Amino acid sequence: MGSRLEQKSTLVRKRIEGHTFDDEAGDEYEGSKFGGFPEYFRRKKIKLQNKDAQLRTQSGDKPNIFKGVVCHVNGYTQPSLNDLHTMIVQHGGGFLQYLDGKTMVTHIIASNLTPKKKEEFKRYRIVKPAWIVDSIAAGKLLPWDAYRVVDEGVGQKVLGFENGNVITQANRKTQGYKEQTDTSWYTSQLKARDVQATSSSTARPRPTLTQTVTPSEEIEDDEYPLPEITSSIERAMEGVDVLDDDDDELPEPTERTEGISDREAKLETPPPTSPPPLPGDETLFPPDDGAAKTTSPIKTPTRQAFRKDIVPSPGPTAVPAPTQSPAKQETALQPRQGSQEPDYTMSIVKNSEALRSISPSRLANMTAEEHNALLLSDPKIRKSTVVHPDFLEQYYRESRLHHLSTWKADLKAQLQALAAEKSSSQKDKLRIKKLPGQRRYIMHVDFDSFFAAVSLKKHPEYVDKPAVVAHGSGSGSEIASCNYPARAFGVSNGMWMRRAQELCPELKILPYDFPGYEEASRKFYDAIMATGGVVQSVSIDEALVDISQICFAEAATDGVKRAEGGVDREQAVADGIAQKMRDEVLAKTGCAVSVGIGGNILLAKVALRRAKPAGQYQLRPEEVLEFIGKLEVKSLPGVAWSIGGRLEEIGCKLVKDIREMTKEKLINTLGPKTGEKLWDYARGIDRAEVGDQVVRKSVSAEVNWGVRFENQEQVDEFMHGLCGELHKRLIKEKVKGKQLTMKVMRRAGDAPRDPPKHLGHGKCDTYNKSIQLGVATNDKEVIVKEAIAMMKSLNISPGELRGIGIQMQKLDTLKAGPDGADLTSQRKLFFKPGQLSKPPAERADDTVPEDPIQDDVKTPQKAQRFVDANNRPSVPIPPIAPSTPSKKLLNTLGTQFVLPTQFDPSVLAELPEDIRSKLAKLVKPDPPMRAPPELAKAAAEGPAKPVQPFSAIMGLPNQSQLDPSILEALPEDVRAEIMGLYNKSPGNRKRGEQALLPQSPRKARTLPISKQPVKRKRGGGLFAGRARSNMRSGDSSTLTQANFVARPVSRHLQNDDVTTATDTEAEPAAADDTVDPEFLAALPEDVRREVLAQQRNVRLQRAGGIDLSLHQRPRAQRGKKRAVEDEVLPERVIVLPPRPSKPTFTSRKLTELPDLRDAMKAWYQEFEDEAPYEEDVLALIKYLRGVVVDERDVGKAIAVVKWVQWLLDEGEAHGSAKDGWSKALIQVQDGVQCAAEERGLGRLDFG
Amino acid sequence: MADGPATFTTLITAFTTFLTVAIHTILYERSIYPRTSFLSARKYNHAVRQSRHPKVCQWIADAVAAVESELLKGTVGRVAVVIFDQSEKPLERFMFDCSRLPVVPAGEWDTPLVRESKNGERTDILPLVDLEEQLRAAMAKLTVCGTLLRPVPENCSFTVAIELKDEGDAPIGHPQPWVPVSPGLQKSVHKDAESRGRTGEDVGGVRTTPLRNVEAGEMMFEMWIEEGKTKMRGPEKNGNVVKLGEGWRSSASS
Repeated sequence: MGSRLEQKSTLVRKRIEGHTFDDEAGDEYEGSKFGGFPEYFRRKKIKLQNKDAQLRTQSGDKPNIFKGVVCHVNGYTQPSLNDLHTMIVQHGGGFLQYLDGKTMVTHIIASNLTPKKKEEFKRYRIVKPAWIVDSIAAGKLLPWDAYRVVDEGVGQKVLGFENGNVITQANRKTQGYKEQTDTSWYTSQLKARDVQATSSSTARPRPTLTQTVTPSEEIEDDEYPLPEITSSIERAMEGVDVLDDDDDELPEPTERTEGISDREAKLETPPPTSPPPLPGDETLFPPDDGAAKTTSPIKTPTRQAFRKDIVPSPGPTAVPAPTQSPAKQETALQPRQGSQEPDYTMSIVKNSEALRSISPSRLANMTAEEHNALLLSDPKIRKSTVVHPDFLEQYYRESRLHHLSTWKADLKAQLQALAAEKSSSQKDKLRIKKLPGQRRYIMHVDFDSFFAAVSLKKHPEYVDKPAVVAHGSGSGSEIASCNYPARAFGVSNGMWMRRAQELCPELKILPYDFPGYEEASRKFYDAIMATGGVVQSVSIDEALVDISQICFAEAATDGVKRAEGGVDREQAVADGIAQKMRDEVLAKTGCAVSVGIGGNILLAKVALRRAKPAGQYQLRPEEVLEFIGKLEVKSLPGVAWSIGGRLEEIGCKLVKDIREMTKEKLINTLGPKTGEKLWDYARGIDRAEVGDQVVRKSVSAEVNWGVRFENQEQVDEFMHGLCGELHKRLIKEKVKGKQLTMKVMRRAGDAPRDPPKHLGHGKCDTYNKSIQLGVATNDKEVIVKEAIAMMKSLNISPGELRGIGIQMQKLDTLKAGPDGADLTSQRKLFFKPGQLSKPPAERADDTVPEDPIQDDVKTPQKAQRFVDANNRPSVPIPPIAPSTPSKKLLNTLGTQFVLPTQFDPSVLAELPEDIRSKLAKLVKPDPPMRAPPELAKAAAEGPAKPVQPFSAIMGLPNQSQLDPSILEALPEDVRAEIMGLYNKSPGNRKRGEQALLPQSPRKARTLPISKQPVKRKRGGGLFAGRARSNMRSGDSSTLTQANFVARPVSRHLQNDDVTTATDTEAEPAAADDTVDPEFLAALPEDVRREVLAQQRNVRLQRAGGIDLSLHQRPRAQRGKKRAVEDEVLPERVIVLPPRPSKPTFTSRKLTELPDLRDAMKAWYQEFEDEAPYEEDVLALIKYLRGVVVDERDVGKAIAVVKWVQWLLDEGEAHGSAKDGWSKALIQVQDGVQCAAEERGLGRLDFG
Repeated sequence: MADGPATFTTLITAFTTFLTVAIHTILYERSIYPRTSFLSARKYNHAVRQSRHPKVCQWIADAVAAVESELLKGTVGRVAVVIFDQSEKPLERFMFDCSRLPVVPAGEWDTPLVRESKNGERTDILPLVDLEEQLRAAMAKLTVCGTLLRPVPENCSFTVAIELKDEGDAPIGHPQPWVPVSPGLQKSVHKDAESRGRTGEDVGGVRTTPLRNVEAGEMMFEMWIEEGKTKMRGPEKNGNVVKLGEGWRSSASS
């Protein structure tokens, strides 16, 4: 902490240590003078130290563990200030009651600090009182760091160490007095006493596993937080406890729960599908009324009921009754057939061989991965976790919630489509026609307790009795729908069964009847469509219909004017339509629907409440305000407890209270959107239109049940599956997304390894991460790659994962082109054939049948049988070997980190090049067997290694990048193969012979003079060939140029061979005139003709022309020897050959316009008195033609011509000279025009 | 013009960027759309105009994208921005001769390019400073074309056309971003010089005003303006032109 703290506190400490107290004779005991407050205070402090000194002397043999510590206590602490003071002083510490400066003390003791003080004291040693207490208990000074009050910052991850493994923990301090009271000294002392008391009375402390954390998101009813599964865990564990107990001991808890369960059993009405409970059941649980009332401090009062159908047989009190037969269990399970959720119970976990064989202490010390591995070693558990290959499929197939929601969504989508189809044309018409101020008639049609009503059709005997639809009769099953008699008891949808059965003991439980629902829903929609209004599907049993147009038509009004009782007629029509439709639905489906009619969607919905059950209600405009005003705020659509609570805070209980609020206040309280909406709602205003469709914004796939991994490979593999699921959904929705969001649930640091719900996620920290994909995609591979990368970046240990979800956002609709290609997103560049491809995935599929567990299809019933068999020693099937090569190979797909070490070379050879190159890095040199990887390896170790040799663009590295030494080290055949590959690779055909040579460019480079320089120009074809042939033409052609003769056009071929360049260096220029016949012979015929033509041209030009300057040769350029060889290219590039040089004018090789102008001027001045020579004019024309045709700069040519024209205009030529010049000018103009026309240009403007 | 070594793609992108700017400027200078519908912007450190109309912008972006894909194939000889009068007669053609841009095979578009000079040195492919200077000059030339040329009548329209090189295959296929231009602007498809009469009568126009030859590294193209005979009101047959290949103009969407 630094010297700043030390300096002053050391002084203080020394002063305190040196402080002695003999008697009260010191000057500090003198009376204070008036106004002598400083003096008084100084004395007071001395006196306090006197007291401490005395205390210290009286402390006896207490160890001086606090020697060197000076403390000050800030605020309320436990133990109290006084106790702490005594403790510190007695153990040799110094204590300051008054803190003159923060540095006066070494430690400040506080349990809690105000935020301001936290900031102020941030850099000082602020410790919790527990430090003192614990130090004394330990008999030594404990490191104070563990007792920090102010940490490095909330939310910052801190490193923790657990069994030598570094783990990160979220630094999440619960702060506040509660923490203090719970963990404080006094409480612990009290508890210690308590525990003593309990342990003496009860058998033993509760097993640690029962401290349950309920997954908050799954609980909807706060009052009854524990779902059935939790209860069964506890029960199961009690069963185990009991089993472990001595036989003569009757543990109280067990008996007590049984008592409760017995009562529960009486309350429970068996579902109609299940046989009535056997009387033998009752004998199982001897009633014990008294036990139910006893509570112990540790026992949670919310002990849950459990279903008797899964009561374990073992236990000393449970008499092995004959009725407890497997057959009985089977029948008792019947009602749960509707339940698709895998419902193992904790007892499986608890009773699994593997877990039981491990002592609890070892269990606690294992890492998360080990724990999971242990858990998964039980095949039954393994089968229902993510490591099972079929997990995802099963998960989505069997999850009841998933089933319900997707089924509903599908049905809704279908119906929506139907509705949209039918009414779209109508709607358009209607939209256009809509007049301002027009009255509207919206019907909200809703089935009365849809599920219940339809299910009741099959059980008409229960129509008048309270009945509910749920997936089972278990106390934790959720009520999907209940009929009106049941509602009279207070039962409501979404309630837990237990609560419902409490409210209404004779509740009938009906199973789901999905086909029936679907049929009813279709009939319902048929009837709605028949009304002819604009239909918007809300749900399968609910729809909004805009019947305004029909009303206007039938009532012969325009919907705006109020004359002649038109309104009444319209309303009558609306009622009529509703009545007719209700009758129709009742006739068709046998179920009642209710209809609410109002001027907008809000009013229709509100009216519907009044209409229910089986009625209809029209909310007329004049009564709207009054009607709505009387409602509670929570009955407005979109207002539930959250918004309702906030409204209540500002004093709004009824809707009319909202009307009294200003809009600003609402907006302040609820936010701009909701606030404004509610303000409108309170006045009966709702601007939403029937037919407005909600557009899907995201598609996601998430799994947070059964997520247990042993290693990273499994995570990666699972990501593949999950991404596949997302991919499927994206395809189904016909969308692509641009943003991928990943949600990862990680076991919270303080959560137990096994959450209360079997294989559930328990208490978790949730991490979210998003990535922008740039281009909308639904490509599985892309998603997998990104998802795995994101997962990696989160850096969560696989064992800690509890849930993974991926979500695609920013969706684009997919428009498929007629050829199946999709047109929406950017077109892709196909660099090289074969990106990530199928083979590995297929291999993964191959592994599936080998899976020993695969064909064992899991059903809920079987799961129950496991419970039954929980005492049978189960043979642990070893986990699917995570290191099978095929599996490993699969995992390499998306990742660049985990690569297999061994693979089949034949498989490797089949792989696309980029994958192969990745894999190849790992191969040990074993050349004869694996030529292709060796090749890639050679490339990988080539000199260009740092510059990403394996970018996706290229298959083979540039030949120049091959390290010759590597090549040489290779066996002959492999080398030949490599070179052969280069030979074959496209664009290289031209240098085939050379590539065959086992010689690398690097090697050539070491030769003193390159006899055979390597041509590395890529890209064959006409262009490259021609361009290369021009390499030296600039130099050589100038040799032959006459002084004022246009140089030959650069397209002519000179000499391809560089050796001649070096050879001819010393030779005279004549070398260019005579072309080597051998060379000529090698040329193709057309090229040869061209070469020869040019030769002739050159000779002719040299013969004529103006001799302004000497025939000179630009030696300087000539002398520049070409470097022996280019430096090795740092990376793969395309080397373009040199540009054909521009046509030049005269021997001075003028190309720039100013120079040309000067030359023209000089020329004109030279020949001003006589007409210009024909040759010169031709030379100029030839040059300008070159400018137009080859240099492609018409502008320049025209500028030159214009300049000549200007010279003529300005000049003083006379008579024949002027005519001659004018003629020459026209000649030049024509020449340029011809050249321009040769390029397809029109009439040039020389004006 | 991305960072890193210049590739063929960056080169072509630089060209098409210029083309986009040029098209906007032409539309402004030739008053194809109301001048008030243009924003003043700055590109290449030069004041340029940009249409504010989203559909116009979209059309241009689509057309340029289609041009770009053809450019990448290396088959484009010239790009033309053609201004038509109401009867679809070409009045002016703003030509961009890009036949001197390098041609790179499809697999190597993203491979860095270098050009060797004669003495083996590497020259810059896209010397940004030069390029900007050159393009700025070209824009400057283009912006004064409004004063050089006679104004066009009202209600003109425009299109973007490409002329293919001799060896280029016509960009046929589905979806079809390109449609053949009117016969008047077609160039002869016959290779023999005898059938020269096949050249479209409007090719070349009657007056050619060179604008600028841009040369910066590999970015080499020439710009000029052709004025059609319809505009000049002096029908003047120039049957002397032999040019091969076909002209294509962009269809309205891509």
